[in-house]
Amino acid sequence: MNQPEKAQEFDSFSYDDDIVKKFVHATLIWGFIAMLAGVFIASQLANWRLNLGLPWITFGRLRPVHTNGAIFAFAGNAVFAGVYYSMQRLLKTRMYSDLLSRVHFWGWQLIIVAAAITLPLGYTVGKEYAELEWPIAFAINVIWVIFAFNFFKTIQIRRERHIYVAIWFYIATILTTALLHVLNTIQIPVSMWKSYPIYSGVQDALVQWWYGHNAVAFVLTTPFLGLMYYFLPKAADRPVYSYRLSIVHFWSLVFIYIWAGPHHLLYTALPEWAQTLGMIFSIMLIAPSWGGMINGLLTLRGAWNRVRTEPILKFFVAGLTFYGMATLEGPLLSIKSISAVGHYTDWIIGHVHGGTLGWNGFITFAMVYWLVPRLWNTKLYSEKLANLHFWVGFLGTLTYVISMWTAGITQGLMWRAIDASGKLVYPDFIETVTRIVPLYYVRAVGGALYLSGFVIMLYNIYRTIALAPKEVEPVVVRAPKLLEPTFEMLGRKPHRILEGLPGLFAVLSFVAVAVGTFIELTPAVLSSDYVAVNPAVKPYSPLQLQGRDIYVREGCYLCHSQMVRPLISETLRYGSYSRAEESVYDRPFQWGSKRTGPDLARVGGKYPDLWHYRHMMDPRDVTPDSIMPIYPWLYRDKIDFDVLKKKLQVMKSLGVPYTDDEVEHASDLAHEEAHRIASGLVAQGVPADTEDKDIIALIAYLQRLGADFKKGLIQ
Amino acid sequence: MTQKDDEQKNLTDHEYDGIREYDYQLPTWWLNLFYASIVFAAGYFIWYQWMDGRSIQEEYQAEKAKLDIILANEASKSATVSEADLLALVKEPAQIKAGKEVFQNRCAVCHGAQGQGLIGPNLTDEYWLHGGKLAQIAQTVTNGIPEKGMPPWGPLLTPQQIHSVVAYIRSIRGSNPPNAKAAQGELYKE
Ligand code: HEC
Ligand code: HEC
Repeated sequence: MNQPEKAQEFDSFSYDDDIVKKFVHATLIWGFIAMLAGVFIASQLANWRLNLGLPWITFGRLRPVHTNGAIFAFAGNAVFAGVYYSMQRLLKTRMYSDLLSRVHFWGWQLIIVAAAITLPLGYTVGKEYAELEWPIAFAINVIWVIFAFNFFKTIQIRRERHIYVAIWFYIATILTTALLHVLNTIQIPVSMWKSYPIYSGVQDALVQWWYGHNAVAFVLTTPFLGLMYYFLPKAADRPVYSYRLSIVHFWSLVFIYIWAGPHHLLYTALPEWAQTLGMIFSIMLIAPSWGGMINGLLTLRGAWNRVRTEPILKFFVAGLTFYGMATLEGPLLSIKSISAVGHYTDWIIGHVHGGTLGWNGFITFAMVYWLVPRLWNTKLYSEKLANLHFWVGFLGTLTYVISMWTAGITQGLMWRAIDASGKLVYPDFIETVTRIVPLYYVRAVGGALYLSGFVIMLYNIYRTIALAPKEVEPVVVRAPKLLEPTFEMLGRKPHRILEGLPGLFAVLSFVAVAVGTFIELTPAVLSSDYVAVNPAVKPYSPLQLQGRDIYVREGCYLCHSQMVRPLISETLRYGSYSRAEESVYDRPFQWGSKRTGPDLARVGGKYPDLWHYRHMMDPRDVTPDSIMPIYPWLYRDKIDFDVLKKKLQVMKSLGVPYTDDEVEHASDLAHEEAHRIASGLVAQGVPADTEDKDIIALIAYLQRLGADFKKGLIQ
Repeated sequence: MTQKDDEQKNLTDHEYDGIREYDYQLPTWWLNLFYASIVFAAGYFIWYQWMDGRSIQEEYQAEKAKLDIILANEASKSATVSEADLLALVKEPAQIKAGKEVFQNRCAVCHGAQGQGLIGPNLTDEYWLHGGKLAQIAQTVTNGIPEKGMPPWGPLLTPQQIHSVVAYIRSIRGSNPPNAKAAQGELYKE
């Protein structure tokens, strides 16, 4: 419009800091719970007795509480706190709708509470970091859309012409996370708390790790880079080092990250071209990731003397360094030959925690120490305690990471060691476990140290808030209204113009992530001959299916893989490598990502039923040094025969070739099979009332694993 | 140029909530790293997907062929053990001791600590499902009965260990342990 520049009107308004305070509280509370769960499950691996024989706190059910809690409750709330604080200021406006902000806050907390209740009860989809069952997954989609709407509307009413780099990262985060979560959680409900994914086997694996990897990228990386770009220059009181570096590393990071998912599936039954893409895009990620680290660290030029004294800057420096380390280590682990040693071992766990404890944790702590005194209009209660937190946290992280590197590399090498006569040097899997159990203790100590640091922070923050003045006048901000832009005002350089057009910016960043998604996923999802269906391979019997759902419910996939890799050491240990056809009926796929126990893809027929019966009761009965939990409730709880018809119906609707007859008589078929298995066991002295217990279904499933291959049905 | 001038020259006019931005050049080493990784990635993909690079499968088959030769060699070395050789071992206390150790570590979970039978059959009686000659027992132990849940021990134990455990099994024949499992299979007498 043709308003004269000088006639600019000023608006007076205030920022909504109450919502930021709410998210800060949530971050601290959930952070404590998630980390406590982490220390507890770490201790369970060191000492299996801590599973206590209680279903809801057994390792397989609690690990998702820890991972989901740390990612979505701790890091998630931290991101929201930082986003609500910084975006209002960077855009010079209050949020579009305070109500939507609150719906977002309370909705998110409810989701977390629902997760914390349902996961220990065994309600899980069985895909890592996407465990939440369909009603909760759906609620996440809704709340996310509400957040996104409020976010983009706020951008629309901004009083700042251009959007700052932090906002770019927030935009990419919000759009991509929505895309990832929606596509990965398309599942068909069987009941209120059980559903089957529409993808199966290889497809499910590919979609899941496209999601899983990018949860790391777009929940733990991009939003934290955004936070770093706001809070670091603020805390250091220095200009950001390089605007053009921001541009280059932002676009390259967003474009490249989305391709790297298949590096979680190297040497699996995923077609090799997709594996190769996963590997090379991971290599290309090193520089874009480091771009963020460099821009952060160089922003501190001229402030290094303060790093020695100020805990906030210490956290930033260490956080960025851990980020740089993790983003170099990740690509290295994506190199096929390194993955062959590291995959399925604790090396990966060490790698993840270098990133989460070192980067996400430390950036969050820096932000909280900076924010709380400002939000509550006071001073930090104790610098000294914050410094202590830093050192305890730093030591904890190092202890954790180094013990897991050692454990992972040790075990990885033991698994593959073959002597001159062509035999495995450590044929007993358990030998490779007992060797690293001492390191599990060390890791638990590392985690406990980190948690103690966190508790020191809780105390410090509690005292800080207690010191704060009770009545505070809301701060009134004055800023000029934003005029309708002319081309002139947007700037001359193309990217600068783009920063003035956030809608276009959002579209382009979406396109950047859509390209890799499309190229990698479409062949798998659309093409029916991506995996050759082998007519000789029959779907799971109703009882086996029920057993499989028990396997999923108990989180066995968190300790066991079902994917033998084409490596000769694995052929010697487990048998020939897994074929894609073997998992066409697997919904969800259960290839796993960690071998705390041995691979189970070929366990069917390896042992008699009685062996499994005794092993699940107490693994030490058959493997004296085992660290696997006990599962006494499987011998008490009855098989739910009635749900089987519905389950088969859903499976059939997804294309699994069950006959109508099988669907109709699912329950009878299961009863018959259970009777067969139980009579064999009862003849060997097992209690007579075992027939209708969960353990029978689980044994039926375990004995099916790899059976088709052993029968020669699969070549 | 002093540092101050340099900073002044690189400072942009951007300002967001008090945050300013410099616009320094991209670090050369960083840019080179980026280019190098792209070149490597492209080269890798072209070589392994479209040219001669060996696929995971080809790599595996080559390794497997090497292993098969080693295993065949080993098998031919240990194939020749006679009934008499095995019977001779039963008289050597050192062999029985070694065999007992293997048995306790590997076999007791399924056959019971005294060989009385548990998941697997009683090994102290005179009835055998797969033959009671020592050479036959050695066969059973080496190749297992995988479809019945008796694991093959050939890949896990050395031939010496297998021979000594067979000797040990012979030594506990007729020991009549408590809670013995009922006899299975056919009577065999030496
Ligand atoms: C805390 C990790 C952990 C969890 C959870 C776990 N396991 Fe295990 N599992 C192990 C370890 C370690 C071993 C190897 C020692 C042994 O035989 O117990 C093992 C061994 C096994 C074996 C024997 C494999 C073989 O080839 O000898 C089976 C079968 C098995 N587990 C099934 C299950 C099932 C079913 C579940 C879920 C109900 C489960 N496991 C949960 C750690 C775990
Ligand atoms: C996982 C359980 C398991 C383990 C461990 C095991 N066995 Fe067995 N074994 C069995 C079963 C089951 C059978 C019966 C097979 C059949 O029914 O044909 C059997 C059969 C046998 C037989 C043949 C008995 C007959 O009547 O012909 C011998 C000999 C034997 N085992 C020796 C051993 C030795 C020696 C070891 C240790 C190195 C061992 N087993 C370890 C389960 C096991």
